[in-house]
Amino acid sequence: MIRFLARRLVGAAVLVVVASSGALLLAHLAPGDYVAGLGPGADPARLARERAALGLDRPFAEQYVRWLGRAVQLDLGVSFRYQRPVRDLVVERTAQTALLGAAALVLASCVGVPLGVFTGSRRGGLLRSAVRALSGVLVSLPPLVSALIVTVLAARTGWLPPLGAAAEAGSPLGHIRLLAWQLALPAVALALPLAAALERLQSQALAAALDEPSMTALRARGLPRRRVLWHAVRLSLASVIGIYGLLAGSVFSGSFAVELVTRWPGLGQLMVEAVAARDMYLVAGCAAMGSLVLAAAILAADVALYVVDPRVRPA
Amino acid sequence: MDLRMLHHRLTVASAVAAVIGLVAFAVLRDRPASPEAPAPAARSVPVRPAGSGSVGPPRCDTTGGTLVAAIRGEPERFNPLVGAPDNTLDLLSHLLHGRLVRIDRETGELEPWLAERWTRSADGLSWTLALRRGVMFADGQPFTSADVLFTAELLYHPSANSALATAMTIGGRPLRFSAPDPHTVVVTFPAPYGPGLRLLDSLAILPRHRLAAALAAGRIRDVWTLASPHELVGLGPFVLARYEPGRRLILERNPRYWRVDAHGRRLPCLDRVVLEILGDANVEMLRLESGDLDLTWYEARPEDLARLRRLAAAGRLRLVDAGVGLDPNMLWFNLAPGAHAGDPRREWLLDTEFRRGLSHAVDRRAMVDSVFLGAGVPVGGVETPGNREWFRPGPVRFDYDLDRARERFAAAGLIDRDGDGRLEDRHGTPVRFSIITQRGHTIRERSVAFLQEQFRRVGVQVDIVGLDFGALVQRFAARRYDSIYFGLERTTTEPAANLDFWLTSGSFHVWNPSQPQPATAWERRIDELMLRLAASADPAERRRLYGEAQELLEEHVPVLTFVAPRIYLPVSTRVGGLRVSNLRPYVLWNADLLWLRRPGDTTP
Repeated sequence: MIRFLARRLVGAAVLVVVASSGALLLAHLAPGDYVAGLGPGADPARLARERAALGLDRPFAEQYVRWLGRAVQLDLGVSFRYQRPVRDLVVERTAQTALLGAAALVLASCVGVPLGVFTGSRRGGLLRSAVRALSGVLVSLPPLVSALIVTVLAARTGWLPPLGAAAEAGSPLGHIRLLAWQLALPAVALALPLAAALERLQSQALAAALDEPSMTALRARGLPRRRVLWHAVRLSLASVIGIYGLLAGSVFSGSFAVELVTRWPGLGQLMVEAVAARDMYLVAGCAAMGSLVLAAAILAADVALYVVDPRVRPA
Repeated sequence: MDLRMLHHRLTVASAVAAVIGLVAFAVLRDRPASPEAPAPAARSVPVRPAGSGSVGPPRCDTTGGTLVAAIRGEPERFNPLVGAPDNTLDLLSHLLHGRLVRIDRETGELEPWLAERWTRSADGLSWTLALRRGVMFADGQPFTSADVLFTAELLYHPSANSALATAMTIGGRPLRFSAPDPHTVVVTFPAPYGPGLRLLDSLAILPRHRLAAALAAGRIRDVWTLASPHELVGLGPFVLARYEPGRRLILERNPRYWRVDAHGRRLPCLDRVVLEILGDANVEMLRLESGDLDLTWYEARPEDLARLRRLAAAGRLRLVDAGVGLDPNMLWFNLAPGAHAGDPRREWLLDTEFRRGLSHAVDRRAMVDSVFLGAGVPVGGVETPGNREWFRPGPVRFDYDLDRARERFAAAGLIDRDGDGRLEDRHGTPVRFSIITQRGHTIRERSVAFLQEQFRRVGVQVDIVGLDFGALVQRFAARRYDSIYFGLERTTTEPAANLDFWLTSGSFHVWNPSQPQPATAWERRIDELMLRLAASADPAERRRLYGEAQELLEEHVPVLTFVAPRIYLPVSTRVGGLRVSNLRPYVLWNADLLWLRRPGDTTP
């Protein structure tokens, strides 16, 4: 277990360095720089002073070495756009994205897994067919499209609070209520395709588990159907849990689109703004955090699988 | 197909149809108006012509409440005199800070503001301003002439690297500020300047007691940043109460604001202004429709007008006509010396007759209809009817006429030599060039697509290159382009404030910027005219000079303009005290006099 964890941690570190360095290089290579984006026709002398103040007049290799030297000390530089430490910005925004992703995953799991048990426990039935059909539609929706649909629905019907709804919160309980209120729309938008995917996965896994020889043996021993189903669900969960690592990845990448549409101030929106502004240290910081979160999610899923399924543990 | 399969397929189809129907019903039906939203008859607020006189003493029909407005993005910092300007910072400058004088954006008149009166010296170069007494910053510190002197020092200080400093120089020399006593400031211009004190409308007065130490220590860029919003103090109607990164800025009324209404009650009328960082016109529309937004940042897009008119007719919002915009998008060619070196197309790319032919090829009225959906007016110069003081009415000089277009092209040696419907030059090179425009800006993209089709009909081929803003600026700065379709966004109607565009030495003399010497006789003439305009105080003389400069520009067509958009502003029905301008910020320039109707109040 320890060797397993150590290997994964080293891999994660390499992934973070490569991803952030690549992002920094690409941001540098993109046409224009942060100062150019201040507008055409600006006084060239003033632009030159601005570039010097930001260190953009130095060769890229020098900028990169300086950045890397600070980055290993967890100093990711200062954002040109926000004039704040990149580390503080990405941590703040990652917390928002994590909140959104966690809410969406919880929502999707609470809806998708039970529905999957429902549809996988038996074949046939009008309601089961309707649920399967709906899942089929939703699972093919990219998060961008689901976010647009949910957003328009919210605005036209009032079923969900509007984008970035503002309200004053007095007490701590009020803050929690306010947060839940603001999170509702983006979380639903992100959770819809996830719930559908979980439903499909759980349904198929349960159907396969029910066909296992072990389940046949239980039925032959006279166990009630409910008890057999319980054992089959436990067996099927291993497949579903194993996929959470990949799901975390798609939640993270899907959240970028949802954040853009719903104006949720997360890492995705920050990265898009950073790229548009050519705020290269912020771009690198966002890439570093994104790859770190992804690596951590995959690792967590692997560890969870290790715990849940004794078959994957070494003898 | 057996019955079970058929049943399964029918069930699936029914479920899908039910989902689609539910979504369609929810999307397509209009929500009933909120019971709290009053439903007065929708009307437009006409724009008063400039110089129409006083609008009466300030008054609040109601007091209190929170106005919610959208902004495009966060400012880069909170100090308006450091670095480059941006629209959000300019808006915040109106809300948080005061200035010595103010231009009423509805009438165009200069108003006393922190300076209550002024006199001019005999030579016209010096202005003595008497400051209002008893004015305090939001933290209770008194406002004196020392703050004005400090502001000027900061403006021109190299460490601030202020973009405004360039605009506040006359002939490359800064204004001089002096203070004989705490309530008097003398502003001396280095050379005659026609607009006079109007130049000070853009100078926000900052607190010396809060910033002087940082400036002296060389740390002025490290204060009043997004990380330290609590340090802000100003003389404006509001103070920054809270900044939520990526979400909003919350401004609350400044209890020490100097201005009072006709009854002696301290302004502003509102308790609070919330600036929501939305950054997207679609999101703004949705928030406005759902009743959670009072003011949008963006003016109504042509494609949204039909829906907005229906909503206005239903009493759910107001659609305010702010008049014709000041800034038509422009198509200009790269006319810099050395441009297109070695390019076989060079001869006609630099040819005035070619550009005149292109102007003749464009049906501007059709462009108004198809690109702007009727919300625009045809123009042929850089001024529009929205600038009532400086616009010269008259026909477009090289207006739509395909025969004349072909004649112009022929005069430039461009004819269809092989009968394929496309023009070639004397050497057989196809007449084909690229237009760079800003990707994601739908009006510009649609406009360029329209132009491409118009030019195709006269045999000129166009390649459209959509670039993001940074890449476009880089191509412009590097002079690596055939032509660009883009627009300026002015903050004033005064032409002398736009010398960067008119003068050959200007960095935004777009077709050939930063010339050491004027490259052509007509540009030299425009330089002379504009410098005389800037120095002259005689309104009639200034109009004559500017008229001649505009005529020269239209004659030589270094830039082509086609349509000036009409500005429509969707506003919540509960907002009162509106005085709109066709200059940004369209409504919030007068935020201290905005008030909110109470629920159930149907007074127009």
